[in-house]
Amino acid sequence: MSLLEVAVERPQRWDVPFGDAMGDAEVDQLLELDPFYEMDASNFPAALPLRGILKNDTRINYYPSGGIVVREGDYGNSAFLVLRGGVQVVLSGLDLEVLGRQPIRKQGFFKSLAKMWRSEKLPEVRAQIRARQDLVGDNSDEVADLTQTRVFLQDVPRVLGDAHTATLKPGEIFGELAALTRTPRSATVLAKGEAWLLEIRWQGLRDLMRYTDSLRQHIEQLYRQNSLRVHLRETPLLSQLPTDALEKVVAATVFESYGNFEWHATFDAARQKRGEAIIVEPLIAEEGSPCDGILLVRSGFARLSHHFGSGQRTVAYLGKGQVYGLNEAISSAFGSELIARTHSLRALGYVDVLHIPQQILEEHVFPHFSRDSLAEVAKKHAVSCTREHCANTNGHLGGEQPQIDTPLLEFLVERRFINGEQAMLIDLDRCTRCDDCVRACAATHDNNPRFVRQGQRHGPFMIAQACMHCADPVCMIGCPTGAIGRDLATGIVRINDLTCIGCSTCANSCPYDNINMVEVRDLSGALLLDQKTHQPIHKATKCDLCADQIGGPACQRACPHDALVRMDLGNLGQLSDWVNR
Amino acid sequence: MKSFASRRLRNSVLTILAALSVAGYAWWCRSRLENPSFSTGYLLLGCLVFLALYNTRKKLPMLAWSNSAQWLQAHIYIALFSAVVFLAHIAWRIPSGYLEITLAVCYVATFVSGLVGLYWTRTIPPKLARVSEEFLYERIPALRNQVQTRAQQTVLETVRATGSETLGDFFSQRVQGYLEKPRGLGYWLRPTSKVRKRLLAELTEVTRYLSEPELKASETLFALIRRRDDLDFHAAMQWRLKAWLFVHIGLTYPLLIVACLHGWLAHLFYGGAL
Repeated sequence: MSLLEVAVERPQRWDVPFGDAMGDAEVDQLLELDPFYEMDASNFPAALPLRGILKNDTRINYYPSGGIVVREGDYGNSAFLVLRGGVQVVLSGLDLEVLGRQPIRKQGFFKSLAKMWRSEKLPEVRAQIRARQDLVGDNSDEVADLTQTRVFLQDVPRVLGDAHTATLKPGEIFGELAALTRTPRSATVLAKGEAWLLEIRWQGLRDLMRYTDSLRQHIEQLYRQNSLRVHLRETPLLSQLPTDALEKVVAATVFESYGNFEWHATFDAARQKRGEAIIVEPLIAEEGSPCDGILLVRSGFARLSHHFGSGQRTVAYLGKGQVYGLNEAISSAFGSELIARTHSLRALGYVDVLHIPQQILEEHVFPHFSRDSLAEVAKKHAVSCTREHCANTNGHLGGEQPQIDTPLLEFLVERRFINGEQAMLIDLDRCTRCDDCVRACAATHDNNPRFVRQGQRHGPFMIAQACMHCADPVCMIGCPTGAIGRDLATGIVRINDLTCIGCSTCANSCPYDNINMVEVRDLSGALLLDQKTHQPIHKATKCDLCADQIGGPACQRACPHDALVRMDLGNLGQLSDWVNR
Repeated sequence: MKSFASRRLRNSVLTILAALSVAGYAWWCRSRLENPSFSTGYLLLGCLVFLALYNTRKKLPMLAWSNSAQWLQAHIYIALFSAVVFLAHIAWRIPSGYLEITLAVCYVATFVSGLVGLYWTRTIPPKLARVSEEFLYERIPALRNQVQTRAQQTVLETVRATGSETLGDFFSQRVQGYLEKPRGLGYWLRPTSKVRKRLLAELTEVTRYLSEPELKASETLFALIRRRDDLDFHAAMQWRLKAWLFVHIGLTYPLLIVACLHGWLAHLFYGGAL
């Protein structure tokens, strides 16, 4: 081994337990409780024992009366089981300031300036590579998500006012929806009296579900039940309905899921079949079939297409909160016969939809609207579609929504770029290839650029290989340590360098190849090798959207020619504006 | 989002108004037999310092000094404005004196290099975007080597497999040199697709003598010749965009030094109380 290499111990999954107070006694107590009591420890593999999961992927949290357990809108990485006491789920939005949301800490002017001088000359230098509690020291910011300060409300009745709440008792689970779907929390939860909760890191929950069928079924049932209620309440069509009518809709609504949670596994194969990818996408509703109600997209993305020649042409895509088939449902309700669906709907990756049957709409929803107000609601639900299609349908589909060219839309949908909430879009007609963006990125990340100025192209537009901070970040699915996760407040997908064990799961899962595995060095510049295998120690790296920088992403700010932008590709209006500048 | 056209219109109007004000002020001073040289000189020096600061902004991207695109807009329009200030400062005459002429030449060279750069930065990117693939400048030499190696391998394998030397001879006589050698200075200054077109035409002519396996290899060769030309085009154009900036920034420093020297001497030999 040369002097430029140093052998060290490789980081491991449970280097940093979720909670530091989980001892054998606590694990024994948990194993006496439901649902762990019914779990068969022999179903778990030796490398991933049930006791190990409980000890390392869970922690027991105490909350005083009014203590905030989770806040609506925060991105969740864990689920909760009520052990003792109770919690109150606040179903209507509360003021964020009341809930104690902290502003994100940014680097000041002088710190930024000083950082420039302190940057390492060699690439990927790390002061430490493991996150053992005794080694974390001053760098506790890195594991701040594990030691967050508790916030509690002092005058709960006044704060809650008339807010609609539900109470959960010992044995009940909550927070699983956000944890499993990598989405924001849909409600705020407060401790009702003193409460002891078991917080389960989502990696642990995933493993418990994998090896325990009953828990998986229970969680899936909860997920469907909670998701349905929350989503219906948010839909403009149903938001003004009287409570009894809404309850009837809730009772009749069918929850349907299409595609696979881990869609990235089959995405590469599907991507190879240019133009044929649409055929393998799960069909949710088919063009020409009679309209049997509306479909509300709960999460994920779906492709709206119609027959064109001997294939299917994409005309739009639907994301969370958008509705399919409303115009046909209205026409069917007010006409003498059922109208056929004018488009097909297919799942892009994983999609949850809520199906409200036509009969329920006619009996309990449409009677509360006049025809004019229904037309207004339909306008509110209009989606951005392709320019050609909107022209053909006289704006029937897109209404006044922004429009986009078909080839560009096909490009974005086919390659699933619509998943990107902060995609790096480069206008090659304006980009002078000066690399100021790359240099700026390197300057703000210790001389290590976190993206590659190359990527897939459509005409003069290129989606560069930079983390897109996806709406559905599938990179998080397989991470064994939870090192990659969403920032609670902003939703930015970040990697905790200290808990990353360099397993490459996230890099392999990213459908866009936007995560790089790098070999790391110590402060002397020596490459770090695993003591046992003598293989280099790797860390996953990617764009962090310059979360701690004032002014936002350095790449965008550094582009002199307005050629580079970070953009939500799920927002066609924004894209259309940018393309047509 | 504002369109580029509306931004251009707003900035142009503001610049023209500012330029007219300065020109009017200089004319007004001279009509009153006053000398506006110091006021226009300081204004011009201020403009030059601001224009030079843009490079500092680029060097410190982590500081939130607004975004670079806004800086560039300010840089372009203040540079255009500075031309009017410069003309007002020299009273619309060619300056006399070695230092003044040197300064004027420095200014004009920097200004013209800026204008040329502005033209190139607006016209070259669309040309690069029309090329089938995007190439990173630093990787182009390695990609050229790959093209050459692959072409050589393809031809050698075909010659070995078929025993025919038709394609091999054509490759060694006409294509190998093109793939091995860098392009001449003429191409770097004015890239054209003349050589590519000629080679592809010659290869098309040769195909009538080729067997089936050789035809297949010739198709690969067609693609590799095109790719090599694309690489050369990208290299030449990207080099031009980088070299221009190098010249423009390089001219800025002597301009600033001579301008400061000129200002110091102007004060020194002013004759009146400072």
